[in-house]
Amino acid sequence: MTFAMFRVMALELWRDRGALVMTFLLPPLVFLIFSAVFSGATGENIRLDLAVADEARTEDSARLVAALVADPDLRAHAVTAAEVRRLVKAGRADAGLIVRGDPVLSPRPVVVVSDPSRAVAAPLTMARVHQAMGRALPDVLLARTLAETAPAFGGLTPQQQVHAGVALERLEKAPPKPAGDQGLFEREDIAGARKGGGTIAYYAGAVTILFALFSAMHGALTLIDERRSGVADRILAGAAGMAPVINGKFLFLTAQSVVQAIAIFATAQAVYAVPVVQHLPLWTVTTLLVAACAAGLAMAVVVFCKTRDQAQMLSTFVILILAAVGGSMVPRFLMPPWLQTIGWATPHAWAIDAYQAILWRDASLGSVYIAWIVLAGVAAVGLGLAHQAARRIR
Amino acid sequence: MSDRPILNVWRAEHSYGARKVLRGIDLALRPGEIYALLGPNGAGKSTLVGAICGRLRLSEGEIAINGEDPFKSATARAALGLVPQEIALYGHLTVRENLQAFGRLAGVKGRALADAVQRAMHLTRTIEREHVPVKHLSGGYKRRVNIAAAILHRPALLILDEPTVGVDIDAREALDAVIRNLRDTGVSVLIITHDLDQAGVLADRVGFMREGRKIMEGAPRALIQQAFGEEMEILVHLAAETDSAGEILLAGEGLERQGNANVWAKLDAGGYATAGRLDKRLRKAGLLPREIRVRQPSLQNLFTLVADWRRAA
Repeated sequence: MTFAMFRVMALELWRDRGALVMTFLLPPLVFLIFSAVFSGATGENIRLDLAVADEARTEDSARLVAALVADPDLRAHAVTAAEVRRLVKAGRADAGLIVRGDPVLSPRPVVVVSDPSRAVAAPLTMARVHQAMGRALPDVLLARTLAETAPAFGGLTPQQQVHAGVALERLEKAPPKPAGDQGLFEREDIAGARKGGGTIAYYAGAVTILFALFSAMHGALTLIDERRSGVADRILAGAAGMAPVINGKFLFLTAQSVVQAIAIFATAQAVYAVPVVQHLPLWTVTTLLVAACAAGLAMAVVVFCKTRDQAQMLSTFVILILAAVGGSMVPRFLMPPWLQTIGWATPHAWAIDAYQAILWRDASLGSVYIAWIVLAGVAAVGLGLAHQAARRIR
Repeated sequence: MSDRPILNVWRAEHSYGARKVLRGIDLALRPGEIYALLGPNGAGKSTLVGAICGRLRLSEGEIAINGEDPFKSATARAALGLVPQEIALYGHLTVRENLQAFGRLAGVKGRALADAVQRAMHLTRTIEREHVPVKHLSGGYKRRVNIAAAILHRPALLILDEPTVGVDIDAREALDAVIRNLRDTGVSVLIITHDLDQAGVLADRVGFMREGRKIMEGAPRALIQQAFGEEMEILVHLAAETDSAGEILLAGEGLERQGNANVWAKLDAGGYATAGRLDKRLRKAGLLPREIRVRQPSLQNLFTLVADWRRAA
């Protein structure tokens, strides 16, 4: 019986050639557009999540780390150098800083650890650190400037050295001033990371979950059509009830989203060399769960609506809100922290995170199983709610 | 064929909030019987059908299909087929594909499904269009496929909700033939309709519902005979609209205006003799009849009569 409904949905789509083309050609097209638009996106006034390590352990390096941790424009937390690299690679910090030498005496005392898929994070980090130093450690900046420029003038006279000392003392207590790059930074990309494609992998995942939900909502609307056309009356009058209808639609919508995902990721691999085939087992499971999650959610939303208008309004609202908050439109690390936290309540965030972990960070099962549990949970709850509501239709 | 009723309804009562829509309905349908349930909108017909299909629980009373309550028993529901008022089919699918889908959803599988589809198309005379998508069929064909989709699991009781809505005379006659075919195979048929002419032609028995009650039941001819005896209906179709003086004259002859402004009618035991006298008197008064017809009273007359009685009461 379930297969009968699956076949009906498949034939209805197959015979409606316009809908068929839109269902399977639009997603890769939109993915290409999104990728082109957002792959070079940058942001302003971002509160970066920074992992900071003090390896120099001097008085000034400690002041620098304390200043960064206290900086309201940053979300910095002190860890070890190894932890900095691990957190950045795992995507749990936007960038990392390792203070490897004394900020006054060492030539390049600070290493910025960044993930190329978040290219905007490294220069932003440098700018933010400079800003923080200008505010909290202006004496350090001046000392470095003096040390660099004095030789050009044949060194400082004793009187100049006295004046410089007074100025440095005063600066310690003076209000912060903006300062330019004092040659503090050296950038280090995380070991083993590929060049390019991180953003593409992000948007492949983002567009996949977006279209999975979009198509599933549209497909689930046939439940309303069937109530209106009397098909539901006919089926409800029989012995089986609506359960095979719900299950058949769920399976079809899942299969439809899987095919859409194949189209999107095949495009990503062909055009941007995103390594999908190389991660096929994990990608396949993630895609199945993303598709099932979208189908379950769509069925649950639609089955509670009485009319097509209600269902269309509600589904549009749900699709847009989840896509926006979950990161299908703008990368989540560019969002305010509170919105990033809320984002975890959407399947989009989990789906995108899982895809990026697999395709970009070469993550193993251990890194994605929580996302799988969440996606499978949403699918199961959605399907359960749809069955519950369908029983009430009788 | 057993005479034991396939469907039994005993003192069915149901309310939506404070509004009572069924007030103690009794109904019994024997195998191979066609029963037409008639009544105006709001009479409670749809609620009764919902209860018979097991979709709502009665406030009071009982319903049994083959002895089992359809609200509780899937076996009871499996014994009925519902033909909704709407064309409850998938437009992009062909006739055969639709029947295969609904057959599977009704639990028919494998070889039995292929046989059921073939049989349904034969009985409803749709086999010559089996590969045509339903959206390309005429209204009458769609109605027949709509019926075919409800008989795939060989229901003992078939419920047709307004089966003739939107079909022309030819298509209606074809539908009537399909319904008789089904009756001849032993299926009991319950037709919910406003179409009193179809009910009169097709039904073995009719039941009139009004305000949640069954106010009359019986074989159409017997009911008409009982209500009108030897009376015949005389219909006068005037060539032109009449003025108020003419209207007074027509009313004086016992005629009543029908829906069409130029058509007047009365029931009279005199039959053709009365019609002849009427023709002469109207012509003498300058009211030229285009046509005067004499016919047996119909269920429509009966329904009007019953409604008038109740209004008078």
